[in-house]
Amino acid sequence: MRARSNPALWYILPSFLFVAVFSLYPIFASVRLSFYRLILTLPWLGEKFVGLENYRDLATDPVALHSLTITLIFVAATASMEVILGLGMALVLNESFRGRGLLRAIVLVPWAIPTVVSSQMWRFIFNDRYGMFNFLLFGDKTQLYLAPLADTLLAPLAIIISDVWKTSAFAALIVLAGLQTIPDELYEAADIDGATAWQKFRRVTLPLVRPALLLALLFRTIDGFKVFDLVFVMTQGGPADATNVLQFYGYKKTFAEGMIGYGSAISVGVFLFSLALALGYIRLLGARILEKSGAK
Amino acid sequence: MNSLNNLVKNSWRTAVVLVLLLCVFPAQAVEIRFVTWRETQGFLDRLIQDFEAQNPDLKIVREIGPHSSTEFHDLVGQKFKNRDPEMDVFFMDVIWPAEFASAGWALPLDRFFPPDEQKKFLPAAILANTYQGHIYGVPLFVDTGLLYYRRDILQHYGFAPPRTWPELVEQAKTILAGVNDAQLSGFSGQFKQYEGLVCNMMEYIASRGAEVWDEQALKSALHLPEAQEAVRFVRDRIVGEISHRGVLAYQEPESLALFTQGKAIFHRNWPYAWEESNDPKKSKVAGKVGMTPLPAFPGGKSASTLGGWQLGISRFSRKPEPAWRFIRFMTGEATQKRIALATGRGLARKDVYRDAEILKKYPHFQTQFETSMQAVPRPRTPVYVPLSNIMQRYFSSAIAVRDSNVDKLARLASRDMDRVLDLLRERARP
Repeated sequence: MRARSNPALWYILPSFLFVAVFSLYPIFASVRLSFYRLILTLPWLGEKFVGLENYRDLATDPVALHSLTITLIFVAATASMEVILGLGMALVLNESFRGRGLLRAIVLVPWAIPTVVSSQMWRFIFNDRYGMFNFLLFGDKTQLYLAPLADTLLAPLAIIISDVWKTSAFAALIVLAGLQTIPDELYEAADIDGATAWQKFRRVTLPLVRPALLLALLFRTIDGFKVFDLVFVMTQGGPADATNVLQFYGYKKTFAEGMIGYGSAISVGVFLFSLALALGYIRLLGARILEKSGAK
Repeated sequence: MNSLNNLVKNSWRTAVVLVLLLCVFPAQAVEIRFVTWRETQGFLDRLIQDFEAQNPDLKIVREIGPHSSTEFHDLVGQKFKNRDPEMDVFFMDVIWPAEFASAGWALPLDRFFPPDEQKKFLPAAILANTYQGHIYGVPLFVDTGLLYYRRDILQHYGFAPPRTWPELVEQAKTILAGVNDAQLSGFSGQFKQYEGLVCNMMEYIASRGAEVWDEQALKSALHLPEAQEAVRFVRDRIVGEISHRGVLAYQEPESLALFTQGKAIFHRNWPYAWEESNDPKKSKVAGKVGMTPLPAFPGGKSASTLGGWQLGISRFSRKPEPAWRFIRFMTGEATQKRIALATGRGLARKDVYRDAEILKKYPHFQTQFETSMQAVPRPRTPVYVPLSNIMQRYFSSAIAVRDSNVDKLARLASRDMDRVLDLLRERARP
């Protein structure tokens, strides 16, 4: 009888089951496995419960800590650049001019290309002999040509550039949606008050588009943490582990080495990091929205 | 209704027709699923056609996997983890038999492949397929590291092919100084952080009389002074003096392209590079290429890392007997000779290297035979992949940074390797 009085439960059941099977179960399975030592290639060792040993190892594993540093640098660099560039792109795309529809479509092209394909393209661009990168920088002065993917400082930069090229458009899309919610009257009022373009941007656009900016930042941060395919195609983590991001390290441990327990601990680590970030952002976003409604 | 009645009435007639049909169209052929990489020289298609013509009851269904060994490993590994009964025959890199045997994924082939037969193959390749007294794969291709060089340039300078690494560096430096072409590289090899890096570095280490591990003691040997010295040599002289920094991101194709474009004097690669670099359609240096065993350090012996591909049968296959018939065909004498003539690649059967027709077409098979008889295997252990990842990290860190602290890095790598190897000791416990 209760079920009849509350049909909402039945309506959410399908999506709940979907999430349970495809999200919750894998997460719990990973968490469980991370407390075990399970090595696929050594089946006689069995599945041994080791408590927090995998996490203790992880906390003292220099390779993992190095991967974490690289991942954090990657996330900070790409998320901030993508949101700033995305804001710039969105401001342009929000103006009305001839061919705006076409430009809006074109801007999205990099984002629509599968990452594996675009990474392969960037690998060619950064080639030390025939790459476009060197040609644009140095022309025919071949003695100056750099090998970005062979250099421990340039390789992470190359990956950051590839990611920024690809996903700034995504940030732009979210920011553009935010811009379109700003009522024109505000700008008209500002015009009447004699505000300059900069003042309009600073006092009207920026405060009102901030929730969209934060949202774009949230998406890009969490996505940045999961970076894998760029590294897989472009560098395989090298040279000298300079691009060995956390997800790639976890992948190698789990799938190539068969160290299921330790690999799961890495995955759970990445998951907890993303979760903490998401919660932080949501509180920030929530606070913004509350502030807005409180001001009314 | 009427037609149904007719059908029932005439059921004996239907049966006769069916039997007749079965006689005309024999039972559908048994499908053997073969997981392989894409083969670009075209010999595999013809071989499979011939096999099916000779064995009308069998049909080979190919499943194409990625070309990179590491990615292929992950694909096959995933099938094993799923206990996939669909996969029957699969290609196996020379470093996998121990792992696949230990995990219970590869079928032991002792009943099909007795020691008498094994004797007809190169001993190094048989050893690589043996784990704890059982054989798990039949070797098809045997690869060894070889030194390719520009015969024309060396002749012009009056140099004989180098026998030692320092000699190679000196020759390259003399030529580079004489040619004054900023694009010309002294040496191209595979120094990216990946499996090929381990193959390349092992050749320097072994030709310095050192090893990457002590197989008996199950301990790393990377930190020992001779091994470190070989690594320093690569950092300071090969990468530091005669190669472009770009080699630190090169796998086989990029390093070979540099050589076939005429932009490298010396080149380290597997046997397939001979055909590639002498094909006028693909190479600007066709006909100007020499090949010789890799140099050694003074007082050391030339060493080539053993590579190659084997055919194995999955433990989860429901058709091991038909699968074996296919493997026997692929690794038989006639087939191996055909592949050798078609591709110039190193094969696993010894008689290929004594065959007059092959030696006439490919005189370099003599060199290939010599190097494969003294090839150095990579550690034969179920934990090879973690060991390899540690070595890749160490070698790349040591050679990609000019002032790297090799001693510290080597000790760290040894410590990590020992930790992994300690897992094998737990076997003794009940």
